[in-house]
Amino acid sequence: MRILLVEDEPDLAATLRKTLAESGFSVDVTADGEEALWRAEGTAYDVIVLDLMIPIVDGWEVMRRIRARGDRSPVLVLTARDATIDKVRALDSGADDYLTKPFTLDELLARIRALIRRAAASPAPVIRLGDVEIESSARRVTRAGAAVDLAPKEYALLEFLALHRGTLVTRSVLYEHIYDDRDDSMSNLVEVYVSTLRRKLGHGLIRTCRGSGYIIDA
Amino acid sequence: MLRSLRAKLLAWYALVLVAVLATFAALAVWTVWQSGLRDLDTRLTATASLLARAINLDSAGQYEVNLTDPDLAAFTVSDDGPYYAVWTSAGVLIDRSDPRIDPTPPGAPQIRSPGGNREVIVAGDHGALVLVGDSLVQVRSDLWRAILGFAAAAGVALALALGGGWFLVGRALAPVERIAETAEAMSESNLGLRIDVTRTEDELGAVATSLNRAFDRLQEAFERQTRFTADASHELRTPLASLMAELEWTLARPRASGEYRSSLAICMRAAQRMRGVVEGLLTLARADAGAIEPQREPVNLASVVEDAVSGVGSIAIERGIAIRVDGVPAIVNGDPNRLRELISNLLINAVQYSFPGGTVTCSLSALGPMTRLVVSDTGAGVDSDDLPHIFERFYRANKVRSRASGGAGLGLAISKWIAESHGGHIRCESSKGHGARFTVELPALVGSANQVSGNDRKLRSPEPSDDAVPTAERS
Repeated sequence: MRILLVEDEPDLAATLRKTLAESGFSVDVTADGEEALWRAEGTAYDVIVLDLMIPIVDGWEVMRRIRARGDRSPVLVLTARDATIDKVRALDSGADDYLTKPFTLDELLARIRALIRRAAASPAPVIRLGDVEIESSARRVTRAGAAVDLAPKEYALLEFLALHRGTLVTRSVLYEHIYDDRDDSMSNLVEVYVSTLRRKLGHGLIRTCRGSGYIIDA
Repeated sequence: MLRSLRAKLLAWYALVLVAVLATFAALAVWTVWQSGLRDLDTRLTATASLLARAINLDSAGQYEVNLTDPDLAAFTVSDDGPYYAVWTSAGVLIDRSDPRIDPTPPGAPQIRSPGGNREVIVAGDHGALVLVGDSLVQVRSDLWRAILGFAAAAGVALALALGGGWFLVGRALAPVERIAETAEAMSESNLGLRIDVTRTEDELGAVATSLNRAFDRLQEAFERQTRFTADASHELRTPLASLMAELEWTLARPRASGEYRSSLAICMRAAQRMRGVVEGLLTLARADAGAIEPQREPVNLASVVEDAVSGVGSIAIERGIAIRVDGVPAIVNGDPNRLRELISNLLINAVQYSFPGGTVTCSLSALGPMTRLVVSDTGAGVDSDDLPHIFERFYRANKVRSRASGGAGLGLAISKWIAESHGGHIRCESSKGHGARFTVELPALVGSANQVSGNDRKLRSPEPSDDAVPTAERS
């Protein structure tokens, strides 16, 4: 899952980046609204975490513009402004959620997970695929009740395919959602991860579609 | 309250009207009475004169009254008709129209009003005394008719006047009710409401306009307060969020020692930033409350400038900015710590807004009774829209500047307070793209006009200072 973090406080941005990365997210960070706009245009982010008081283009305007061009990425507003009028204005500008600073990382992560489930129209926190269960809050996968140990990228790939089960996911989309712009491995690691996943979870789970992508059947 | 004001106005109006009407009626009634009496007297006098001439002395020296005169035919014996009596000069009754008339001679010619009658006594021929009287019933009934007429007219006039008055007072007070309604409807969430003044161009219109202006000022003050609170909260929450998030991340699992160190550094920075905001707020709150009495002592501004320049030196070097200092020794009466804070704020501000490689100039000059300090930079300048607001608390001009340059937005507000508490003032001139120029003028303590050539120099390697916590900025 790839997240765009728009935060102009460098220390907080750094903390959030490492927190999100440890939770298995791919994270791009920007400190201003203008860069946020062009980043969001080039990448289909799974969640945009947006501060409102940011330089050049403020958060409300960022939301207005990305919604105006049809971008449906969930936006979580993360701001120190706690007045009702600010919350209303943000939600009415296209935000999906609103969290005021200071906040706890646990809550932020839970809200991000909820936004991702909602956006994938898969609201149940536990996904069952045959005898495989994926529990996104704990990032835990079990097969027939036994825990399966997955590398972070393996989990990210599985989770993305599972959330979009029933639809074909191309390789480029997978790359877009499980890597951020700091990952520079240009190898065909996706194929490696898929084969590892098949070995750990059974060969029937992920189907390859004629070289174009992968699908988990619903 | 309004109702009673209307009633009170009307009561006063009615009281005045009743007094006027009563005075007028009293005068009129008195006039009617007097004119009635005068008419009666004229008539009685005329009759008496006729009678007086009708008295003859016969050959035997006896008086006789010739009543054949048709004018005297009216005298009949009745209760309220006219009557007469005639006496000789010796006081002997000669004749009377009614046997009930008192035979006592009346004495001298006169006009009198005994027992509800009017009597005119005149001297007749041959020394006779003639009395002609009549009842006052007629005059009295005329008087009563007049009184009743006046009362009725006054009643009608009063009713009309009060009715009209009620209506007019109501109309005149209608704007007051509108004003009251508007004021009543105003609340914290509805501060934009204003009294409609289009229909009141009179005194009440002026009242409404004044009230509207007062509402404007209140709304402005309220909004400023709200904004200030929101800004203060924002400036404290932001570093607090950073602090808490970093602590939560660090405590989530065991970390490497390098990670602990960098975490602590982040926490330290957040705490320092919060300290800056809290101290700034505290200074301004004390200043607002008038709780700070700046200490006064002769201060050499040139050495304070030198001190402040070395304080910001490390930031300047980091950003590749040269600081030029020139000017004359200038002594002002003030608080050296506050003055240092003022100059530091301006310098930090200038350094932060200069482009790398730019120059910040700090110059001192004598200007009559004032000492002038100018801090100018070659940075991006201040937008003309922002210029009037840059000394406001937490005011952030162009959002282009990232938060990375630090500061909470209180430095210039504090600088302004310091300048003004020293009896001076501060101003800023700038145009977009041409840098900013802050001018502080403080009253000079002694004639510091002895123009010294100035220690013009470039600051290249000032000693690092522990005062690197940024407190001033312009964004």
